[in-house]
Amino acid sequence: MANSSDIVLEIDGLSVDIRTAGGTLHAVRDISFSVKRGETLCLVGESGCGKSMTSLAIMDLLPKAATKSARRLAFAGEDLSRAGKSRINALRGNRMSMIFQEPMTALNPAYTIGNQLVEAYCLHKKASEAEARERAVFLLGKVGIANAAERLGQYPHQLSGGLRQRVMIAMALMCGPELLIADEPTTALDVTIQAQILRLLADLQQELGIAMVLITHDLGIVARIADRVAVMYAGQIVEEGPTTSLFNAPRHPYTQGLIECIPVPGRTEPGGRLGVIPGVVPSLVGEVRGCSFRDRCTKAQQACLDAPPVRETADGHRWRCILENAA
Amino acid sequence: MTALIEAHDLTRSFEVSRGMFKGKRTLHAVNGISLDIRQGEVLAIVGESGCGKSTLARMLLGLLPPSAGAITLEGQDIRSLGRKGMARRVQPVFQDPYSSLNPRRTIASIVALPLEVHGIGTAAERRKMTIEMLDKVGLPQRFADRYPRELSGGQRQRVAIARALVMKPEVVVCDEPTSALDVSVQSQILNLLMDLRRELNLTYVFISHNLAVVEHIATRVAVMYLGRVVELAETEALFKAPRHPYTKALLASVLTPEPGLGIPDTGLGIAFPDPLNPPSGCPFHPRCPERLPQCGSVVPQILRDENGAVACHLHGQAPAPH
Ligand SMILES: Nc1ncnc2c1ncn2[C@@H]1O[C@H](COP(=O)(O)OP(=O)(O)OP(=O)(O)O)[C@@H](O)[C@H]1O
Ligand SMILES: Nc1ncnc2c1ncn2[C@@H]1O[C@H](COP(=O)(O)OP(=O)(O)O)[C@@H](O)[C@H]1O
Ligand code: SF4
Ligand code: SF4
Ligand SMILES: [Mg+2]
Ligand SMILES: [Mg+2]
Repeated sequence: MANSSDIVLEIDGLSVDIRTAGGTLHAVRDISFSVKRGETLCLVGESGCGKSMTSLAIMDLLPKAATKSARRLAFAGEDLSRAGKSRINALRGNRMSMIFQEPMTALNPAYTIGNQLVEAYCLHKKASEAEARERAVFLLGKVGIANAAERLGQYPHQLSGGLRQRVMIAMALMCGPELLIADEPTTALDVTIQAQILRLLADLQQELGIAMVLITHDLGIVARIADRVAVMYAGQIVEEGPTTSLFNAPRHPYTQGLIECIPVPGRTEPGGRLGVIPGVVPSLVGEVRGCSFRDRCTKAQQACLDAPPVRETADGHRWRCILENAA
Repeated sequence: MTALIEAHDLTRSFEVSRGMFKGKRTLHAVNGISLDIRQGEVLAIVGESGCGKSTLARMLLGLLPPSAGAITLEGQDIRSLGRKGMARRVQPVFQDPYSSLNPRRTIASIVALPLEVHGIGTAAERRKMTIEMLDKVGLPQRFADRYPRELSGGQRQRVAIARALVMKPEVVVCDEPTSALDVSVQSQILNLLMDLRRELNLTYVFISHNLAVVEHIATRVAVMYLGRVVELAETEALFKAPRHPYTKALLASVLTPEPGLGIPDTGLGIAFPDPLNPPSGCPFHPRCPERLPQCGSVVPQILRDENGAVACHLHGQAPAPH
């Protein structure tokens, strides 16, 4: 049994609402999960299901039109759901940090790589610039950037996409975070570089005992890197469980559908038909009644008009469906 | 299978400025590619970003003139066919279903435009052909008078496919047709492309980053690196027994959804190539785990045999002695 002090991030009942011209959009709807020291949780789901809003809510970086609420949003045992700006600022970029999908959203084009790596470290760790530079060079080396000292003087636009992503990983690790949130960190990259960067992230995460939330829409990445997986659909977590159990015995019809959609050598017949999930995601504006997957679910029945129960097995595999086993 | 399209020693370079006072440099986006596209096949083109896939595609479509080399369609130089003549027989489907459709036109008028441009049929006949084509790609008639912004990504990609097919082309060049789409939408589009291929007897050139998709859909695969084809083989053979070290690294990078296998080590160095300053000898040598002494100075010639083609010193002209 894990010691409760091992829990780095604990989220209970997080919701994010966004004011839009058409009404309130419920981007994240009452989700709960926790991540332990040294553990990787993958949040997986298709575009618009609320993955980024979840990560931005945790980091307190939501856009102005969005508001969050939570019964509890605790980092290292401290409830931050009602914490003030200064407390969050002291933690963010320090004990908890984030890697964005598009590195240019996090890197300032007007400053050198060196300035950006050094700044947060000097601020949070009260370190001298020389110490900060030394750490920056060390970490750039770790993320596989050759002649790191030289790179410190370069501007973001002088680096390739793969290099920028590595710089961002180094930046996220500068202050030795306990929690790392990576939102689609390799989606924009080539497969060879993607594999290299994920391997690097996984190694560093293990070595440093970081609790990591990795957000992706790619089930291949999930299978290879996650300890546990949470599947999001229309703002809710519809299934969550240990990686092996989730892939080998998915319980929720949406998870089952997603797995059937992807071509897998050996499982799908070359040139044959792939599984499909008919229909489209429901609008998240206004109230969503009953099971949000209902319109697309081949197993839907009358009872699905009410909110489905959360079911759970002994190994901590949970899903939100009226069916015990939809397979 | 007979060759429908043949590319002979195709080269395309661009003059790129390197900022003030530095003058221009030549970038060889495509560097001496010869390949044939056979009637009825699905030829996939794979390789890292910037290796020249889209440049090759635009030349095959007749949208970009080669700097050197030539392309023939059933033996005829495509320059003599002209853009319009090519458009009747070879059509594109591009990656981004958001930017490739004119936002101010209705779906029906987007799909009918190529017919109009080529002066095919009366307005009523064009409308009928358009509705039929939309139906084929799974868009009911009620979509005909809507605008692109009212459609989802997958629906827009269906429109792009309908627009390409309304001219009844023989070849469709798909440049990353599903990479902007969610997996549940991707599977629908892949199923659609496969159905249409059977029904209309189409030939596809299929550019993709996603090797699992390529293995699923392609019959033959060309692997590109820095403007060259470094390996070409039947899909099954390529995935079972890749010959070029770069192909091996690419395949090793594929993350299949199998829990417990972890993240593979590709064995590649981190020296990503600069296309403006390509390495001497074999362009892959700085990253190659199987590098030989001559690799840094001697460009490997392409070896063509019954298995396809490979450009690597490990696979020399003379059969290796046993
Ligand atoms: N019009 C142009 N002017 C200058 N350089 C160009 C031009 N078009 C392409 N290039 C360069 O040619 C090379 C090949 O580009 P291309 O678009 O064919 O790559 P690609 O393989 O399709 O990449 P991706 O996977 O990112 O789409 C790149 O280095 C690119 O920057
Ligand atoms: N700034 C915004 N204004 C209005 N709606 C937004 C905004 N950002 C995101 N949304 C909506 O919130 C929902 C969840 O978005 P997001 O978390 O970005 O999804 P994901 O990261 O899973 O693709 C979507 O319906 C999206 O359209
Ligand atoms: S609750 Fe009903 S509609 Fe929802 S996933 Fe389960 S069976 Fe399908
Ligand atoms: S020619 Fe040499 S460097 Fe190039 S791929 Fe073959 S072994 Fe590697
Ligand atoms: Mg997102
Ligand atoms: Mg391209």
